[in-house]
Amino acid sequence: MSATGAGRRRSPVTWAKRGGLSSVVFALPVLVVFGVFSWWPIVRSVVMSFQKTNLVGSPRWVGWHNFVFVLTDPDLPTAIRNTLYFALLALVIGYPVPLVTAVLISSVRRYKGLYSVLAYLPVVVPPVVAVLLWKFFYDGSAQGVFNTILRWVGLGPYSWLSSPSLAMPSLVIEATWAAAGGTVIIYLAALIGVPDELYDAAEVDGAGIWQRVWHVTMPQLRGVLLITFILQIIGTVQVFLEPYLFTDGGPANATLTILLMIYNYAFARSLGGNYGAATALSVMLAAFLAVLSLVYFKLTSRWSKS
Amino acid sequence: MKYSRTTLAFAIVGVLALSGTLVACSSGDKNNNSGSSTTLDPNTKVTLNVVGLLPGSKPEAQQALADLVTQFQTANPNITVKTHDYEWKATTFAADLAGGTLPTVFEIPFTDAKTLIANQQISDMQAYLSQLSYASSFNKNLLQYGQGDNGDVYAIPAKSVYAIGLHYNRDLFTQAGLDPSKPPTTWDEVRADAKAIATKTGQAGFAQMSQDATGGWQLTVDTYARGGRMEDGKKATLTNDATKAALQFLKDLRWTDNSMGANFSYDWSGINQAFAAGKIGMYTSGQDVYTSLVQTNNINPKSYGLTMIPLSGGDSGVLGGGTMAAVSSKATNNEKAAAVKWIDFYYLSKYTNQAAAVKNAQTQVASKQPVGTPELPIFSQAQYQQYEDWIKPYVNVPLDQMTTFTSNVFSAKLVNEPAVATQDVYKSLDPVVQAVLTNKDANIDQLLSDANSKAQRAIDSAG
Amino acid sequence: MTFPPTSGGSGRATAGRAATDVATPAVERLPGAAPTSSAAGLPLPIRKRRASQFDGGRGYVSEQEWRSRGVSTTMKTLHLILLVLLVVVGVGPMLLLAKFAVTPTQDIIRSPLAVFPHGMRWQNISEAWNDVQISRYFLNTIWLAAGSWFVQVLVATTGGYVLSVLRPAWGRIVNGLVIATLFVPSVVLLVPLYLTILNPPVVGTSLINSFFAVWLPSGASAFNVVLVTRFFDSLPREVFEAAKVDGASSYRLFWSVVLPMSKPILGVVSVFATIASWKDFLWPMLVLKDPSKQPLSVRLPAIASQTDLGVFLASLAISTLIPVVFFLIFQRLFLSGAGLGGAVKG
Repeated sequence: MSATGAGRRRSPVTWAKRGGLSSVVFALPVLVVFGVFSWWPIVRSVVMSFQKTNLVGSPRWVGWHNFVFVLTDPDLPTAIRNTLYFALLALVIGYPVPLVTAVLISSVRRYKGLYSVLAYLPVVVPPVVAVLLWKFFYDGSAQGVFNTILRWVGLGPYSWLSSPSLAMPSLVIEATWAAAGGTVIIYLAALIGVPDELYDAAEVDGAGIWQRVWHVTMPQLRGVLLITFILQIIGTVQVFLEPYLFTDGGPANATLTILLMIYNYAFARSLGGNYGAATALSVMLAAFLAVLSLVYFKLTSRWSKS
Repeated sequence: MKYSRTTLAFAIVGVLALSGTLVACSSGDKNNNSGSSTTLDPNTKVTLNVVGLLPGSKPEAQQALADLVTQFQTANPNITVKTHDYEWKATTFAADLAGGTLPTVFEIPFTDAKTLIANQQISDMQAYLSQLSYASSFNKNLLQYGQGDNGDVYAIPAKSVYAIGLHYNRDLFTQAGLDPSKPPTTWDEVRADAKAIATKTGQAGFAQMSQDATGGWQLTVDTYARGGRMEDGKKATLTNDATKAALQFLKDLRWTDNSMGANFSYDWSGINQAFAAGKIGMYTSGQDVYTSLVQTNNINPKSYGLTMIPLSGGDSGVLGGGTMAAVSSKATNNEKAAAVKWIDFYYLSKYTNQAAAVKNAQTQVASKQPVGTPELPIFSQAQYQQYEDWIKPYVNVPLDQMTTFTSNVFSAKLVNEPAVATQDVYKSLDPVVQAVLTNKDANIDQLLSDANSKAQRAIDSAG
Repeated sequence: MTFPPTSGGSGRATAGRAATDVATPAVERLPGAAPTSSAAGLPLPIRKRRASQFDGGRGYVSEQEWRSRGVSTTMKTLHLILLVLLVVVGVGPMLLLAKFAVTPTQDIIRSPLAVFPHGMRWQNISEAWNDVQISRYFLNTIWLAAGSWFVQVLVATTGGYVLSVLRPAWGRIVNGLVIATLFVPSVVLLVPLYLTILNPPVVGTSLINSFFAVWLPSGASAFNVVLVTRFFDSLPREVFEAAKVDGASSYRLFWSVVLPMSKPILGVVSVFATIASWKDFLWPMLVLKDPSKQPLSVRLPAIASQTDLGVFLASLAISTLIPVVFFLIFQRLFLSGAGLGGAVKG
């Protein structure tokens, strides 16, 4: 803990004695790990997007070639469309559900713990296990688990993962199941912080329960809601596991997402990955998300202030 | 907290330089090419990493392999062999190659060899190969896959030389009222039989692979069988009539007859598993799949049948392929010398040496592994027939259930897989097959034309 | 009717306030202790049993309304419906998995929802454990989690110590660089990190198939560093001053003063690290190519088409058991971390 004066040179011994050396020693893990496995790869990613790398010779500079290659890939519009579709579906299905659940659980008086545990349980299941299990549930034959259940209410067997129109919604349903619990807990934690006086005052003013929820609880949650909204968008835009394990981008590219394209460029080509294209696409995606976040925060901060 | 600008500058430079130098000190190539002889000194110890069985193979199969390794090591006390489970998949091979996690001796399909040679990823084995007595007896058509521009042999034809066959479940045939000894010989008969199986047994009458480039592979099979081709030199010709007819066939079976079951995302091992479990009546795949069905999927031998794939139209042929053994370009000369001995022992000697053939067969039988699964000859047809005579006493696969195949395959016209960017062409066709099987209103012409542009793109960038 | 306006400030400030409110109770309260007062300083209802950590405040329903029949019945019905839904939707799939784990394959295929028409098949489990060798992949998963945990705790505590306590001149830059990585999506790292593992600096040989390829990169978690730094920031400086006056060196201060005080945050970081490691799929799949080194998450999809269905589902069940049991035992830690994490992200 040292405050240094401006521009004064000290001898190495003084520096070490004053704690300079110990700072460096303690900082070594962070610096080395971040340097080698985070900062340098980020820089390298941008560099590689302008190169052609094939692991045998040394990389060649190819200017914008990779970006052009990616942008003219006939599968790219499909991937973008599917990714946005997934994000949208996840918002519609997966954004309100945790909120409603959390608000309801917060009014439970005795067994809140039980409800929280039940809600969070799917989050604890390893994602790979969840996907493989649901893949079995989604079996398209008449004896598939979901088809059997739907048969009880007279709904005919669906092809789920083999249907280009049902595949993406199937993925979203499982993804929501697996992730909603985490968001419920976040909201529950935020709900503790709603001051009692606000509810008291609202009651005094004659507001009923529903009005209290709408005019007190929701505005209090606004901050957290805004954050989870953008976090969900950023997260769903990068979805990889579900499209990869459920359908490998199929059927007929109906579940091909941007992350899956990046993976395919780099790791799924039989005779050598196109690392330039993979990094070019990831750089473009990262830039898009950065711009999106900036715009979002600008907009929402203005909105909150008004 | 104030800080001097100098310190700041040093800090930034320091961090970046630290990371930069750490990366700049990249690993040198540790290729140790000591020794210039091509024969292995019996006193030099070598450890050789080789490809073993498919992951998930039964313990008995692993035991048979272990026995073979012991035999080899006894005959070559200076060589230690380590086997590694391996399944070749178009989508993981490149990563394995790049990651250097492939064993020194590994297996590749015929179609990949030339690209690996061009990328300098496999070793020139000509000098070592010449030590083998049968080096000049290889089937020239197979050998050319693994030859470089200079005519040297890099990859050696090793195993699973196959033609595509139509595999069928005899039990399902019987249950559907069909005669299992009279499998279909035309595509119309396939359609009719599939319908019968689906209606009378509830299982899929016919199934087709569609994932991981196998969709394109099998569609190419269907195309060849109807007289079409996928490439013309460096031009993609996916939009030919034979492919359209093949897709229309699938469409009819799927949507009009509903005889293809409910699962349309099979890859090579998935369809094997479903077939062995009795869920599929017929499907096309390499003729030697039976070995895998026994070793990995617990098939009931009595239910297995193999026949020729129906051919229609002039210029129709049966897709043929196979597996080569290659040695990593990073191998030392000692490893290459040891590799050639292993390749000889494990893959090839049984076809040319009676004692080796018998020993191999006995070892397999001792662990209840299939002996006698039909293959295509690596050397000459005469040699192959002699091999069959040698192992006749040990054959334990139901050859009499495969006669319609074995008696016709040698006279069939064999067609090689597309030569340029093979797996990429196949991958571009996967969505087409998936679309036809999952979307009632799939527009075959549109899909093929899109796939054609993708395939052309891949062919162009393969250079 | 007008209601009191919400407290001013941007949305983020509100979230920040909620975060502080949440952060303090979660950090100060040891698991299991009964809450005596909330952060807002209002008395909580005194409970005789252990209360949930999410209890606090009076909520939007008043005591009076709970006593009225109409409100009480409506709320209780809603709660009951929610409970049933949570059980069916949340726990249902797992109960089904447990059932499948001991059901013969043919029954699973033909009548999945019937209750053991042909009896149970316990061999599924023993076959999964032995033949499919789930035990080995399980061990791999644990090894990977342990190593990742260690690296993450090491990096986060030492990094947080430097940034928060030692505060050298260049600390600001490092802090900035670390936080900057929070805004970079991990996909950007995928390819170059893979190439770095193929060809790591200094070491010379590829790290593919080595557990280090998973352990080391896991340490580069800005989230952990931020979490720990913030926590250290909240520790009272007087304790440090006192120790320094007593002549403690930086190392002594770290080991004997700061670390012991950090147990709560270490608990949270540990939970995150372990969960993240258990869930990890893409990265281990890329760098651990040798099947004998792979964790469960990578191995299970690979063997799906080579394994009998009943045995496969038993394998899935075994893989789920440990995290679930872990969670049920350490609920408070998990849930406080989950809530805290979300709030801190704001």
